[in-house]
Amino acid sequence: MKRSDRRPEVSPPPHWRFGHPAQSWLDNGLQVLLSARPGQHVASICLSLDTPLSGEPEHLEGVATITQRCLDEGTLAHPGASFAEALEAIGASLEGSVGYSASQLFVDVPTARLGEALRLLAEAVITPELAADQAERHCELRLAEIEQTLASSARIAQQAFRTASIRPRYRASRFAGGTPSTISAITPAAVVDYHQRTYRPDGATLIISGDLEPGVLSHVEAAFGAWDVRTAAEPTHQSPTRRRIHHWLVDRPGAVAADVRLGAFGIDRTDARWADLQVAGHAVGGAFLSRLNKVLREERGYTYGVHLVNQPMRAGGLLAVQGSFRTDVVVDAITEAAALIDLRQRPITDAEVAEAVSYHTGSAPLRFATAQGVTQNLAGLVAAGITAEFIDANMVALSHVTAASATDALIELLPPDALTLVVVGDAAALHQPLADAGWASTVYSATKLLHR
Amino acid sequence: MVSADVVNYPLHQEFLSNGLRVLVSPDRSVPVAAVNLWYDVGSRDELPGQYGWAHLFEHLMFSGSARVASGEHLQLLQNLGGSVNATTWFDRTNYFETLPIGALDLALWLEADRLGSLADHLTIESVDTQREVVKEEKRQRYDNVPYGDAMATLVELVFGADHHYGHTTIGTMEDLAGASVEAAADFFRTHYRPENAVLTLVGDFTVKEAFRKAERAFGQLRGGARRQRPVPGGLAPMEGIPAAELSGRVPAEAAYLAWRLPVRDTVDFDAADLALGILGGGQSSRLHQLLVRERRLLAFAGAHPLPLIGGNSIGLIQLRGLPDRGVAEGVQATLEQVERLATDGPTEDELNRIKAQFGREWLMDLARLDTRADLISAFTVLHDDPGRVNRRLVELTSITAAQVRDAAATLLRPEHRAELIYRVEASR
Repeated sequence: MKRSDRRPEVSPPPHWRFGHPAQSWLDNGLQVLLSARPGQHVASICLSLDTPLSGEPEHLEGVATITQRCLDEGTLAHPGASFAEALEAIGASLEGSVGYSASQLFVDVPTARLGEALRLLAEAVITPELAADQAERHCELRLAEIEQTLASSARIAQQAFRTASIRPRYRASRFAGGTPSTISAITPAAVVDYHQRTYRPDGATLIISGDLEPGVLSHVEAAFGAWDVRTAAEPTHQSPTRRRIHHWLVDRPGAVAADVRLGAFGIDRTDARWADLQVAGHAVGGAFLSRLNKVLREERGYTYGVHLVNQPMRAGGLLAVQGSFRTDVVVDAITEAAALIDLRQRPITDAEVAEAVSYHTGSAPLRFATAQGVTQNLAGLVAAGITAEFIDANMVALSHVTAASATDALIELLPPDALTLVVVGDAAALHQPLADAGWASTVYSATKLLHR
Repeated sequence: MVSADVVNYPLHQEFLSNGLRVLVSPDRSVPVAAVNLWYDVGSRDELPGQYGWAHLFEHLMFSGSARVASGEHLQLLQNLGGSVNATTWFDRTNYFETLPIGALDLALWLEADRLGSLADHLTIESVDTQREVVKEEKRQRYDNVPYGDAMATLVELVFGADHHYGHTTIGTMEDLAGASVEAAADFFRTHYRPENAVLTLVGDFTVKEAFRKAERAFGQLRGGARRQRPVPGGLAPMEGIPAAELSGRVPAEAAYLAWRLPVRDTVDFDAADLALGILGGGQSSRLHQLLVRERRLLAFAGAHPLPLIGGNSIGLIQLRGLPDRGVAEGVQATLEQVERLATDGPTEDELNRIKAQFGREWLMDLARLDTRADLISAFTVLHDDPGRVNRRLVELTSITAAQVRDAAATLLRPEHRAELIYRVEASR
């Protein structure tokens, strides 16, 4: 045998632990997490605000989104377009995201300009102009964005599965960014009011990762130290619960393919079964040769890719098979997928557990290798109300998962006879075949999602 | 401005005896290795009747080779925590993996196995399955997506259907249907050769270790004389404003204005890149400020180049209207802004802002081991000069306001554009 015929041995990765961020607080209650990453010349900043969307007035849903989008349209110190110019002049970028449990602002900036970037971020958060014309304009753009969402098969499927899985009384069942009726009701005064009521330093967290200089905390103090604590009520986070089972067929006449979500209301990171679910999820629908992708993509050629996606929230989560399939195979694909996620006859094997644990432990150093990776991961935990200790604790929990515990967790979480199904596709072609296969579904138009 | 002196990554190069060019850049900060292989083949190498083949055949690289079962390449490395993928573009096909350092030998062995033996291990089953997978990819990412067919129409408009850039990498359903085992084997034997590839290794090893590992994995493969690609001449600017219209179930009208630009990473291209950035590259750009923010004519206005190596690149301005409002006024106002830039040039502040943005993006690309490796491969394959990765920031920041103005005045003239309007299909 030539030397090259022999498959090389793999040496095990060195034991990895997350290098914990340095934690401190400003007097106003702002938590600061500093994560030194030598050699990372672009610092990554996240300011996470403790602003659950359940704190939006119900008739003004989307006001958190509009408020965030107005922040960089001008500040008291840098009015109008001069704010964006000041930010771009130091090579910084500012992005925002509004989730159900936190509003977050992300800034990337070369480390040499970190202090200036922090001052600009603080301006945007503490003293934004929130000009009336900008609030109106962002409402108009949000209405256009909703139309774009409703034109996208994948995005309809995402929202429809959320709405079908979470009881309607909970904010997390509805569009994070609001609907045309709520957006139309948002006035510039409502934006100012939302900002005053909810943007506060106590409960907020500032995360900074990168090749940090020793004086970074003084930059933080200079930028955010004067942020007032307001005496508003503490925000309250909801704990959503599951809705009864639904099968929905959202009609896109003439679509060549259908987006599918098949699953159930799931769990969050604090659930005792979290590590079990990570292992089972990798085996069934995470890996390239997962049970789902091996059959539906690599053997059948039904799809570009199919996954079992685990989307934790702060409380509860969404767990679903996700894929896009051409119209003439979609019913077969759903039936096969349902059989593949039913572990009662084919439990998770010891080999699958070993592979999933090896995947999670091996990929950890990669996920945390850049400043952006560290900040993004920490931001996700902060939004979920979890500390950085979770990262190492989860590694330990993964090492205790057994084939039986992983199997049991998935059977509990995806009960074979109680799955919610969303299909976004050509109803004329799919309605009857779905019913014939035992997936009788109610047909809706995408605009149905906009109504409560 | 970002200081250019933070960019000084070590670069070492060797050619194996079979012609494989190996670039090594050690980085001991994390116990990780990035493997990146660029093959000098892309959709520009497809002849009429073969559109989509380079990308389809990229999929077959994961379908097993002499000592590796179908899907095993991805499975093995993923189970060790690695991330593995490949992409096909006009000018290249790249294969890459980021891994815990202990898996580097295995990754190189897997790459070498498929490079050396794939052409002899193709089956009709794997070709048929991946053909269906790629058709699904086309449906999911293009045919079932609003505006998803715009780019295919646009490149045909800019270059003509028979030009090497006149079609997109995803290809056509008809041509995908025509791909056979023999065609795939022939394609691999022609393009997937050690001397037609660049292997870049970035990560936690010494230079000597890395070259030794590359030699051990790839050294026994047979190579040949390096193919000299004929350098295609650039096309002259378009005349007569080639125009097309599409319609579909989209919520708002959109417009795509395109220009032929010089090849990528040249001074003229870079100047045009900055001109496009000043027009539509971010929140303080002119089109966004004037047409989206102030006049509220459009929902979106953006501009960027599509960098290409074979004769021409593309410069692109994309406009999306507000619902129930057309884009005609926005197109007119955009062209006025292009002319204004051509006359007056950018302000110093504008130029500094766009360079600062480029600097941050460049540093972020270099911060990741995988994108750093990909850039090293790119500059080696496309320009025969890996060292430009360390000089690129200086190149860009040296562009003057006059050069940007001249680029707008010569390369982005309104009469030399192509124009694609995407209309809202009347609802049924």
